[in-house]
Formats: sequence, structure tokens, C-alpha cells
Amino acid sequence: MEQTSRNFLGNAHTALGDEARAERRDLLALFQPIMRQSAVDDFAAHEATRAHVKKVRQHTLDNLAYYLARYEEQATHNGNHVHFARDAAQMNSIVLDICQRHDAQRIAKGKSMVTEETGLNEHLARAGLDVRETDLGEYIVQQAGETPSHIVGPALHKSADEIRELFLEKHDLGERDLLETSDMVAEARQVLREHFLTADVGIIGANALIAENGYSMLVTNEGNGDLCANLPSVLIVCATIDRILPRAEDATAMLRLLVRSATGQPQTCYTSFYSGPRRAPDPDGPLETHIVLLDNERSDILDSGYREILACIRCGACLTHCPIYAGVGGHAYGSVYSGPMGSVLTPLLTSLEESAALPNACTSCGRCAEICPADIPLPDLLRDLRSEEREQRLSPLRWRFGLKMHAWLAAQPALYRLLTGLGIRALHRLARGRGRFRRLPLAGGWSSQRDFPAPQQKTFMQLYRERDRHDG
Amino acid sequence: MTDRDARTDIFARLQHSASGLSNNDILREQWALGSAPAPALPGSDLHEAFLTNVLKNQGTVDCAAGRVGTVKAIAAHLYANYRKHRLVASNDQRLAALPWRDGGLLPRFGSVEANEQVALSYARLGVAELGAVVTFTGKANPAANNLLPEQHVVLVDAADVVAASEQAWERIAALTEAEERPRGINFIAGPSSTADIEGQLVYGAHGPKAWHVILVGDLPDSILQQARANAGVQT
Amino acid sequence: MSERSAAQGKASGRPLVALFATCLVDLFRPSVGFASLTLLQRAGCEVVVPPEQTCCGQPAYNNGDRAAIIALAKQTIAMLEPADYVVIPSGSCAGMLSEHYPRLFDGEWHDRALAVASKTFELTSFLRDIAPLPTPEKLHPPSGKVAYHDSCAGLREMQVREQPRALLKSTCGVEVVELQQRDVCCGFGGTFCAKMPEISAKMADDKLKDAASTGATILTGGDLGCLMSLAGRAQRTGQNLEMRHVAELLVGDQDTPPVGGAD
Repeated sequence: MEQTSRNFLGNAHTALGDEARAERRDLLALFQPIMRQSAVDDFAAHEATRAHVKKVRQHTLDNLAYYLARYEEQATHNGNHVHFARDAAQMNSIVLDICQRHDAQRIAKGKSMVTEETGLNEHLARAGLDVRETDLGEYIVQQAGETPSHIVGPALHKSADEIRELFLEKHDLGERDLLETSDMVAEARQVLREHFLTADVGIIGANALIAENGYSMLVTNEGNGDLCANLPSVLIVCATIDRILPRAEDATAMLRLLVRSATGQPQTCYTSFYSGPRRAPDPDGPLETHIVLLDNERSDILDSGYREILACIRCGACLTHCPIYAGVGGHAYGSVYSGPMGSVLTPLLTSLEESAALPNACTSCGRCAEICPADIPLPDLLRDLRSEEREQRLSPLRWRFGLKMHAWLAAQPALYRLLTGLGIRALHRLARGRGRFRRLPLAGGWSSQRDFPAPQQKTFMQLYRERDRHDG
Repeated sequence: MTDRDARTDIFARLQHSASGLSNNDILREQWALGSAPAPALPGSDLHEAFLTNVLKNQGTVDCAAGRVGTVKAIAAHLYANYRKHRLVASNDQRLAALPWRDGGLLPRFGSVEANEQVALSYARLGVAELGAVVTFTGKANPAANNLLPEQHVVLVDAADVVAASEQAWERIAALTEAEERPRGINFIAGPSSTADIEGQLVYGAHGPKAWHVILVGDLPDSILQQARANAGVQT
Repeated sequence: MSERSAAQGKASGRPLVALFATCLVDLFRPSVGFASLTLLQRAGCEVVVPPEQTCCGQPAYNNGDRAAIIALAKQTIAMLEPADYVVIPSGSCAGMLSEHYPRLFDGEWHDRALAVASKTFELTSFLRDIAPLPTPEKLHPPSGKVAYHDSCAGLREMQVREQPRALLKSTCGVEVVELQQRDVCCGFGGTFCAKMPEISAKMADDKLKDAASTGATILTGGDLGCLMSLAGRAQRTGQNLEMRHVAELLVGDQDTPPVGGAD
């Protein structure tokens, strides 16, 4: 997708103006945290599991070269072709090459944020392939020519009415009304079942890659990823190198956090572990399987102060719990990943220059860090990015200058006292007893949306000194 | 840059940030990580917990003892819900050995075809913590039978129910030592579902719309009732 | 903080509390500073107001100006070291001192920052958990329902949750009415509200709507920043809701106009 993060404020303005969508976002922001909380409360071991998985991830990232090599060895032993790609373009060309070697026309795709990241669909489509997303949410946004607004619920920004219109327009199935949600689901099932049965290649992502046995873990509720993994004769798994976990039990321990944080369920319907191509006596399954391991900046991030973001399990809870995400929705971020994790990851995957607005879309309220199942200090990472932004002089000069002046002044208590004393008295007089300002010079950002409360007559320090002197 | 060049490059970069531990030290550290804390199970009994969690995952459950009892339980479920006596059964020896006529059922053994609505699998394991059954893809259970039918009925032996994922992996490791590593290990914990349209839960997104689990073994009569009570499901 | 005032406190045998008023209280609402002072004295503390205090440095910190924040933090730490306790009528500034200062340093300054962090408290949690506020004569309760706005830093960095509610009940007989989304940010976020005013206003509107639906006529809280932002937004959109700092309610100050109210 074309990144539009530079226009975050403009995108946000548009999003806030769409009342129906804003209302749906408000509802989701109310209910999703309640569902997550209830699932976490039911699971007594949540905090202990979170600490355990954090240790495991830390250990894995510290020794990623070892585990990646071990995974490669095991996956190869299982009969996979294992490929490595440094960047998005390389992954896309590896995948296209595999498809073309098999004269593939029809591709069935499972949900994969990695392929969103590399723009794989567009790449394959440009070469004339018919790539169909099969996760219902992904299918809807693909049909609508949009991108996912949430990493777990890609189409939750759309109303049922919009989806009904979309299906009536896109599916040539004659007269029908599709009144119920279940009718629309049934129609998508019918259309996509046909595609599954005739697809030449299946492409899926992986929630984890297990070093000890070379299996990849795939988690879905719909079962679409499993259909992609089992029906076509060629399977391609696309994953980034940070998905590696040492042991199978680590993947299922992580899963306990993932499902509860992502959807508030105790368990997803389909959790599948795939090792490679069909074995000799097997009645079904792909004949050839490929694993494409993508770096795309991960090795650099690992070597930076932002390595904790690599522990992200893509549950989307930080999005759902972020009041800014709830306010403006995922598309406003203008990037593949949105919300707090996206605001950390996007500058690291693209550039801080293009993404400078995103780390600022944060009040440091800390709600994301509080609920993050991977215990990633998201507000701290965002603050660090703002710090880099400042060092690279990407933030507006008046901000840098203003804040610098303020900090400088605050470090000179006597001068600070003198100037604030004079300033506050002047400001108080300026308010003429009305208690507030509608407009205030140098506070344009504030006063565009709010009145500015006027100060009381003098500063606390002045009044205190006067009283102290009087008493003393 | 070729695949191989990319591999060299990625490993070189990873070495740069690596802990520098020897392989033995890495494994020692891995050993020291231990296992995740055991999840609490609902109710006091392993099988009761398994059935409770299957119900919570929107499955339906039954219990059966003996081969005849098992066939009768399958037949009762098919007849009561779908008025059917035909089904596709996976090529599992345990399924082949069932006295089908005792339940008046007509199984066809193999992979589910278009327009066949009910498939029957015999699970390798049940996992109480997850309310999941575990199947291996292969001759004894084609992947298609988990995914393509409208209704999926799964048998699991009471002796094969384990408490948590960690024990499941121990059992899987033991099973796969004897066999080749299966291509697919499937933890199934519910009918296929989606909430992608306005968050409304709908069953049968792509896979089965209904999922029925029959626990096979000598179990106390009260266990189903207890599990339903735990899960807050009406009988 | 002078050696003299430190010595005075020690001589009295009462705990010596340094009141760090915060820059917002200093500049915009001295009444909160005086209310805090009174409450701490009622709780039996010897209170000093270190004259060198300015700002804890959050604006610079949150905008990534490391050099500036380090200078300010050192100044603040050195100023507060002589006290037995540091009390701040703001969860956000208290969080800055206790959670963030220690992370800025290694070595000696890290230890000094930690020492100050460990004795730093948000006002209501101090009055509830450390030096209990006695409940002499019941104050005249404010007319109308009172809702409480939890500030994010108070909630998550200083574990302020039930303390202000319990104090309001015991001193003014106020049973706080609860917002539906207590743990969601009001959109102030320091410089955030000026950088992204439209999004910030949306968050403030949500908070005001939540408060209004409780039937409250007063919204109180422990952080003046949030209250100023919410008051400004309420006035701009014509919503009638009085914002008062919790310290003001706890001393029974109903004469001072609410935040942003006319003199």
C-alpha cells in the first residue's frame, strides 16, 4: 500500500467526520476491552504466562541466529524448500517465481500481515495472477479495494449494509436480498469454496515457526488458512524471522495469550501445525511446500533500542485499547500496521521521516502497555522515536524551540519565577475576569478546539512567598 | 541478491546482535526456561473439564462406552439433528472396527467429497485446557474431513485426554517417534466461525457449521450434566 | 530546599514533606497548592514548599529532549532530597518523578533518583496510605453529584484509584459517581492536545459525555492538566460541568471559581 502517514492529521480529520464509522469505532472500543478483560479474568494464569512467554521471547531474540538455523534445518528435513528474503521486493519475487514455475493462475490466500507489509497481492496481480483473500474480513476489504483497518478484524470499519451492497455488486449470483449477516457469510463461503477447490497455490502466514521440529503454527477461527494449506498442490508460507520460537510448547503457551488478547476467546477454533509436503500414504495435502523467511528490517531492529517490538504477537489489543486508534481508526495511520504497535513499527520498517506523525499520536496514557500480552513498553518506544525525530530535526521548529526554551527557563528557578510571575499577572488581567480565553496567542493548537482557562491572580509561588513573609 | 546471498546476509546481521553464547549454553538456558504455568481447569475432573471447555467452544458433546455404545451415540446424534444415517468416516482402524449396523449407519470410508455433509474422525488426543481435539493429517484422517463437511463429528478416547498443551506435546512427541512426523497436526476447538461482519458471530465461515465431540470410555453418568452446568449450557 | 527548613522539620518530630506544587498549579491555580498545603498540615506533616521548584520536565521528556530533561531532573532531585516525603497534587508529575526520573540516569544519579522516587507520592494516596487525613468536622458537601476523573499516570504509574474516592467520602460525605470508562485517557496528554487538537477534542468529548451521563455536576480529579483541558472543551461546546481539583473539594473550598470559571 502507499503510505500516507505524513497526512495523519488530514486522514484523522476525514475519519472523525464520518459519523457512522466513528460511532461503530466507539462501540468496538467499549466492548472489545470488556471481552478481553473477561477472558483474562477467567484465565487465572494470565500474568504468570505473560512473564513466562516474555522470558522465552527474550531468550529467542537473544539467540535468533541459532534458532533460525535450527528451524531451517528442521523445516528442510521435513521436506520444505526454505527461502530467505532480505526485503519486501525479494520476498515478492520469490513467491511469484514459485507460482510461475507451476503455471499457477489461481491463488488462495490466508490472512497474513507480512504479505500486506510487502504488497504481495499487487505484485502477483500485476503478473496476471488471480489472488483471492479468503479470510472473510480480508476478502471484504480486498473486494472493496481497501486495506485492513485492524490487524485482527480487517473489515470491522464497514457496516453490514456496506458489505451487503458490496457482495450484491461483486458476486454475479442473481436476485437475492442477503438480509442477515449469516446470509452474507454463507455467500462468501460459497464463492470462496469454489476458489479453494480450484486454486493452484495456497499462501499463508504463520503465527509461529517452531525451531525444534520445523512446524509452523497457523491460528484461525474460520478455517480458511487450513483450506489454503491443505487443498492446493503448492503451499507457500510467508513469515518474518522474528516469528521463531524454540519449542512447540512455547507456541501453545504464547497462544494462550494471543487468543484472549485478540478476540476475548479462550481458544481459537483451528490451531494447526504444518510441517511440509504430503507424505507418501497421505490422501491429501500439498505436493510441494515453500517457506519464505523475510527479514525486512528485523535484523536491524534486533540490533537497536527497539528490539522489544519484535516480541509483538500481533493480537491487536493495543489497537483496540488505544483511545486514539478508537478515535480515528486504522486507516488514518496510512500504514499497514496501525495503533501503538504500528506507530512503533512503521517508522522502523519505512522511515521516520515518512512516519513522523505516528509516534506523536500518543498521550502516553499507558493503557496499551498495561494490556500488551508481550509486555512491550509501547509508550516508551514511542517516546524514544520522538526523541530521534527531534535529533533528526523532523519535528516542527517552533515545537523544538518552544520546548527547549521552556526547559531552559525551568532550569533557572529565579528567572523562571520572575518571568512567570509577570506573565501570569498579565494573562490574568487580559482575561478580564471571564475566567477563560477563546483565543490565545501561541496556543493555537489548544484554542482551536477548547477555551483556555485563565490563571488566578498570581502564581502559587508568589502568593506563598507573600503569605510566608506575612506569617514569618 | 539471490536467496542464498540473503541467507548469508541475514545470518551475518543476526550474529552481530547475538548473545554470543555457545550452542550448549543456549540449550542450557532454554532448559532453564521451564514450562509455562499450568492453566487451571474447570471442575475437579479431567474429563469433566474437557467436556466443559468443548461446550464453551460452542461444540456439542456426548459420552459413550464400548463399541456398540459409540455407534449408537453417533447414530443418535446424526438422526436427532440431521435425520441422516450416511456419513464419511476417515480410514482409521478404530473406526473400521466399529459395529456400524448396530446403529443403522451407512459409513463410506475415505475423504469427504462434494455434497457429503457429515464426516467422522477419531482424534489422537483431547486437550482439556483448550477444549480441543487433536487430529493428524494422513491416511487415517484426511485434512479434508476436518474442513469440508457441514458437520464434523469427532470421537476421542477418554484415555487420550490430557490436561494441557504441554502434555499434548509430550504425547505427540511419543506418537510421532513411532510414525513419521505428520504433515499436519490440527487442534480443533469449535465449529468454523467468523465475527468479521460487525462483530456478529456466525458459524460455518468456511469449515463445519457444527462440531460434535463424543468422549469414549467408562465415565460417570453425571459427567455430562456437570459439564453442562460448568459451561452454563441448557440441556 | 534550604537546610534551615529541613532542620525545622526534623526538630518538630513530624514528617517533613516537600510540597511540589507542579508548574500548572503554580501558574494557573494556586488554590490547589494552598489546599494541598492545608491538607498536609492537617495530616500532621511539617510542610515546606521548596522555592527552587519549577517544572518536573515532562514536556521536554515526552518530546524527546534528553539534554534538557536531565538538567531539570537533577535540579529537582537535589532540591527534594532533604525531605522525608515528596507530595505532589498530580499523578502525572508524581509519576514523572517516581517512574521516569530513575530511568534517565546510571550510577550515582540513578541511586539519587531512586531515593527520591521511593518517597514521592501523589497527594490523595499520601493522605490515605501514608499520613492519614483526620476527619474532624464533616465539611459541607458540594451541592450536586460529583464524578471523579482518573488520570492515566495516577492510575497506572502511581496506583491512585480508591484513595481519592475514600477521602471524598470520609471528609465531605461525597459518594463519587463512576464514569463508564474510568481507565480511558481524556485526551489531554500534555503537548498532545496542542499537537493533535482535533483528536484530543474527540477524546475530551467522549470523557465529557461519559461524565454527563452520570448526572454529575462536578467533575473532580487529581490532575490539573486533565481538568483544564476538559474544562476548556466543555466551555467551548457549551457543556455545564464544573471542574475542581480534588484537593480543593477536600478542604471544602467552594469559593474559588471552578477551573476556567469567571471570577
